[in-house]
Parts: sequence; structure tokens; C-alpha cells
Amino acid sequence: MGLSASPAAPGAAAAAAFTILSQLCGAAFLYVLLKADGSWQVMGLLALLGVGFFLLERFPGIGEFITASLTRVPLVTAATAAIIVLGFPFVVGSNTYILHLLIVAQLYAVLALALNFQLGSANIPNFATGASYGIGAYVSALLALNFGMSFWLTLPIAALAATLFGFIIGIPSMRTRDTYLALVTIAFGVVVQQLLNNFDWTGGPNGLVGIPAPSLFGHSFASPLQVFGWKLPSQANFYYLAAALVVVAVVTAQRLHGSRIGLAWNALRADEIAAKAQGINVAWYKVLAFAVDAFLAAFAGTIYAFYVSYISPDNFTFLVSVTIMTMVIVGGMDNIFGVIVGAFLLTILPEKLRAFSDYRLLFFGVVVIGFLMIRPQGLFPQRLRQYGVHR
Amino acid sequence: MSALLRVENVTMRFGGLVALNDVTFSVKKGSVLAVIGPNGAGKSTLFNVVTGVYKPTAGRMTFDGADITSKPSYEVVRRGIARTFQSSRLFSDLSVLDNVIIGMHTRTKTGVLDALFRPGASRREMAACVEKAEALLQAGSGDLYEQRNRPAGTLAQADRRRLEIARALASQPKLILLDEPSVGMDDKETDALVADIKRLRSGHPELSVILIEHDMRVVGAFPEHVMCIDYGSRIAEGSFETVRANPRVQEAYLGKAAAHA
Repeated sequence: MGLSASPAAPGAAAAAAFTILSQLCGAAFLYVLLKADGSWQVMGLLALLGVGFFLLERFPGIGEFITASLTRVPLVTAATAAIIVLGFPFVVGSNTYILHLLIVAQLYAVLALALNFQLGSANIPNFATGASYGIGAYVSALLALNFGMSFWLTLPIAALAATLFGFIIGIPSMRTRDTYLALVTIAFGVVVQQLLNNFDWTGGPNGLVGIPAPSLFGHSFASPLQVFGWKLPSQANFYYLAAALVVVAVVTAQRLHGSRIGLAWNALRADEIAAKAQGINVAWYKVLAFAVDAFLAAFAGTIYAFYVSYISPDNFTFLVSVTIMTMVIVGGMDNIFGVIVGAFLLTILPEKLRAFSDYRLLFFGVVVIGFLMIRPQGLFPQRLRQYGVHR
Repeated sequence: MSALLRVENVTMRFGGLVALNDVTFSVKKGSVLAVIGPNGAGKSTLFNVVTGVYKPTAGRMTFDGADITSKPSYEVVRRGIARTFQSSRLFSDLSVLDNVIIGMHTRTKTGVLDALFRPGASRREMAACVEKAEALLQAGSGDLYEQRNRPAGTLAQADRRRLEIARALASQPKLILLDEPSVGMDDKETDALVADIKRLRSGHPELSVILIEHDMRVVGAFPEHVMCIDYGSRIAEGSFETVRANPRVQEAYLGKAAAHA
């Protein structure tokens, strides 16, 4: 196993060039996929993607070379990514549908990263992420509608409320495991959705309408965004907001993964009894995973509520939780980049394959079963931690 | 001499099965206790009770002056008892180095907020752990250090046992419980293991060891204090010679082993 630095490790200049090129290729693929019209074009792109992963599987050297290049010049990697993310709306132009897809994909990326703390790092099958997402959305919407609170104020409050909810599901879940744990979280998810549906003060099945658009320094997010003479549709505001949240989620994930907390989660994923014998308070770390998941999911929920300005219990069903779980499994458990790719693919593909929209649930089911059978580690498998590479 | 671990009249019942029956013993600071007995005698159950995996049905345990009866595992580890498992329980999808670093869990303290808002402190803590872990991997026999970036699941059997010991030592224990460390080792590796334990003791004269063993050569290397368990009861205790000469021990255990040899 070539785990040490491969002999073909690129030099700094080559790595930088390769880093920029590979990220541009990725962005171009995303752009073409978003622009694709009709099932055949999408199928063709999927086939292309399939060939790419087949090559990665056959020649693991390619993947190692790419990751080696990206980690060799982290600043170039980050800068290229930033430019691509900032520039994408300009390339997309006035196509609001594509912007909408990108916003939803980014929110799902945050949700998938949130669930990844549990499913990926700690192997806790949590089917209540959709409920935490809904609690975030409802708490912030209610605060804005009833008390006129600004978006920026509701954001942390909603996150704290959802975290509390995370603790509440986490505590009974400590006593159960595996299948039973999954059942407990399914029950919680359904209960939350039913409550939202039946309470008067949540608007019942009609939901909450007319959530005001946030504003920043006098600029309303409902109005178009003017940058250096360029005029971007109002969706661009939320695109950048969602992108900022993705950055927060990625940084959170990286910092926790690289600390002893990420290691403790990985330990209890691998062997709970052995983890206990290392002095890890297994119950506490499980509850912690629930809380972190709920915290991030609530952020996504708040942005969603203010973006669409209308939420109902139907937005936060069990199916949403299943979708998020599928994204983590497809993307690659415990791989931050993989989870984001999974979220984007599974947001965009069902939209593009509208012809099969009646079979969406079937589609997710087939995808999950297929992946668990053929590639259980996901598109991008988890990687071993590397220490002192730049020593 | 003061006893580091004192186990008094501990009984462990699973339904109608009595896995441990009124067991009493103590371990002095810096000494080795070898526990022998046939398969199913209750040796591993004893480890599980001491480390808080099981709550004893009756009895009392004190460690380093404090009562540890019915304390949860993480509390017991924090107080200084580390263990290895009979069927090695490594975190097989993590690297060898990560396995040892996880062993330091009770000696590190970064919380979620620290990790998020003080990344520098968190990174320094991890860097210190890496350094300590590398030192631990270099200390034992074998070439674990060279294999530190491999997934632990890909190690050879003898290396897995060595890694388990390194991981247990990472928590800076006062007492280490080794559950059949020589399983899966050939003669040469077993000799290296005995040398490792001896080197460990001379390096840490305060460290106490409880050793479950089937290999009489390993037990013979630590002959001062041996206890034999059968059907959950302590049937003999003393030096290796006296325990070996005990007719009940021969009947329960050595008779079978002699027939084997």
C-alpha cells in the first residue's frame, strides 16, 4: 500500500498548476451538468463521471497524485476554490433556476456535513437531521414573524434551540444502538413533523408565510446584487450566504476531525468496547455528535426559511432525512470533500431527471443499495490522518 | 507495602451463572500478578469487572485509595487502570499512530469549543500526542514505528498485541491489565514480549501488572505472585512453585495442559 509520499510527488509549481486545472475541470463539469437539458445529456455526463471513477479505482495513483498536489499547495487550493465559488454566479448570469439549484445544493451540503459527524465519524444512523433542519427553520421564522427579529439574530437562537433538541434526542439514544437507535431517531423525526403539522402556532399544514428577506448594511436580500457594474439576480445574495455557511461547516468539520474529538468519534465507530477501555465517555460523545449535527442543520434551516420565505411541515419530512443520509453514503463517509460532492450530485440529478420524478424515492433506494453493494466506502473513501507531513 | 488494587469478595452473576464467586486478592505497587486458570474460569470476567465494563453483583474494589466499585469505564481509566483485550480490539480502520493517540484520551482535554475556536491549542495538543505516541511505538519490540501510518487492521498478529500494549500504556496507567498478550505469538515473539514487560517494569518501577496467561513460560518469568481461578473461584494463590504444586490446580488446569504437552 503506497501510503507514504509516492515517488511521483509533484513539485510546487507543477502542483499549483495541476491544482488550478483540476478544480477548474470540476467547476466546468458542474456547470455543464447544471446547463444540461434532457435526460440523454445528463446520462452522458453521468457515464463520463462513471468512467472517471472507474479510472480512479483502476489506477489509484491518479487519486494519490491529485490529493498530493492539493495538499502540497493548500493556499493555492483554497484561493482557487474561493475564486470559483465567488465567480460562479457571474458565469451562470441571469439563470435563476441554476442559482436556485446551487443554493439548495449548498444547503444540502451543510446538512450532509452535519450528519457526517454522526453517520460518518461515529457510525450513528440518525434519521432526525431533517427534523433539526425543520426546527431551525421554524424557530427563526417564528421569531422573525412574531417578534420582528432580524435574520442575523434568529440564526444563533435557532441553532441553540436545535442543539437543545439534539441533546434531547441524544440522551434516550445513548441507551440504544444500531437498528434500535435508527428507530428512535425515525420516531423523533416523525413526531417533530407531526407536531409542526398539528400545532396552531406553527401554522399547521399551511406553514408560515411571508418570512421577510434578510438585509445586510441596508442591502435587502430580495433585491438584485450589484457588483462592479454587474447585476446579479436576487438569488445571488442567498447563494453567497449559503456558500459562507458551507465554509463554516467545512471549517467546523475539519477542526473537529483533526482534534481528539474526531478521534474519539472514530474510536467508537470502530469498536465501542475498546473505546470505553481507552477512557472515552461513549455516551457523552454520542450525545455530542447529535448536538453538533443539530446545530449545523439549524443554520441551514434558517437560511432556507428566509430564502424561500414560506415553509410548511412538508419541507421537513422523513424523506429529507433519507436524502441527507444518501448523500453521505454516496459521497463517502467521513470524507468532507466526498460528502459535499454527494450532496451536489443528489440535489442536481433528481432535478435534471425530471422524467423520473415520480420515482424519486425509488431512485434514492436503488442508489443506496447499489453503493452499499458495489462501493460501500462511497465515491471518496475516508483517508487516514497524516501527521507532520510539512515538518 | 500498600496495595494498589484491592478486590474484596467480588461476585459476578449473570442470571443463574456465577462467573466470579467471592474473589478476593490485592496487587502491590510495582508488582506483577499472573492469573491462570482453564478456559471459561472467569479470568476475563475479572478484568471486565475491575475495569467497570460489568458492575459486580456483590463485593468491593478499591484502587489507589479510592472506591472504584461500579464506576464507569472512563472513570476507571482516568484513575489509572489500562487494559488489553484477549481478542485484540484495535481501531482497525485507523492508523497505528491514531490508535496510540486515542489511548491518550484521558490525558488530553480539548473540548468542542476549544477545537473550534482555539485551533492552535488543539493542533499543539495533537502534535504533542504524535510525538509521545511515536516514542511509545519505538520503545517496544518489533517494528511498529516503521508501520505507524498503516491501518491497524493490516498488522500481523504479534504486532497487533504489541500495539494494544502501546495503546494501553499511552494512558499513563498505574496498573495495566494484559489479557493473554502472548496469544498468536511464536516462541521468539513470546520471548520478546517477556523482555518487553521486564523492560517496561524497570523503566516504570511503580507500574503494576496483572497478567492473564496460558503460556507457562510467560507465567514462569513472573513467578512471585500467581493466582489460579476455576469456576469463578480463587483456588490457589502464592508463588508459581506453590501454585503449580497445588493438587487442586493440577486437577483443574495443569493436568489438562500436561496431557497436551
